Amino acid sequence: MTRQHAGVEPAASRRQGASDPLGPNSEIGRKLKQYYDELLSDEVPDRFSQLLSQLEQAEPLQKKEG
Amino acid sequence: MAVSSAFKNDLLAAIPNLRAFAVSLTQNADKADDLVQETLVKAWDKHESFQMGTNLKAWLFTILRNEFYSQMRKRGREVQDSDGVMTERLAVHPSQHGLLDLEDFRGALEQLPQDQREAIILIGASGFSYEEAAEICGCAVGTIKSRVSRARNRLQEILKISGESEYGPDAISAQVTGSNAA
Repeated sequence: MTRQHAGVEPAASRRQGASDPLGPNSEIGRKLKQYYDELLSDEVPDRFSQLLSQLEQAEPLQKKEG
Repeated sequence: MAVSSAFKNDLLAAIPNLRAFAVSLTQNADKADDLVQETLVKAWDKHESFQMGTNLKAWLFTILRNEFYSQMRKRGREVQDSDGVMTERLAVHPSQHGLLDLEDFRGALEQLPQDQREAIILIGASGFSYEEAAEICGCAVGTIKSRVSRARNRLQEILKISGESEYGPDAISAQVTGSNAA
């Protein structure tokens, strides 16, 4: 019953809290955010705003009924 | 027209997030941008089905993800299944000072099965709740939880980190852990 007590490897990973295993205290969590933030900061190519402008002109949206 | 430009601005604002998610899924910048383009066109067409006041980002992620999987199916490629992938082929060793290189991390992420990778990205990076991620992926909350947990374990395994050992050799962190845990 007390098989996972202090000192045994799983204790270290559990103690961080099952609540937020990817929080700022977890290296995986930090790396994940770093990886993603780098992607987020990538400059958006013009093709997307051009596309949306084309859509806006070609197919203006109608206000939804009700 | 007001409806159009408001929606357009909302879509524009979501693009960096869509691209980041798309790259995470496709592992390829060109494919990712094609996927985002397709998503924007679909979102525009399906505008009526978006409920104002609900989470636009989650709605867009759902479209993008569906598009991704339907393209994969069209190409006849099997979606990797969790049990079918071996992670041992490319074990990465952290550099001497114990800091994990971002390149290594990216490599490790690529080795994850598709379903685990998307789950850990949605929860750990895109900022969605488990409930939102479950909705985006069309599965149960418990499924997302277990995928995230398996992804995390797998990443730790590939990167050979125990979760708290980032500040030094294992022996030292083990000692510290041991004394703290009393």
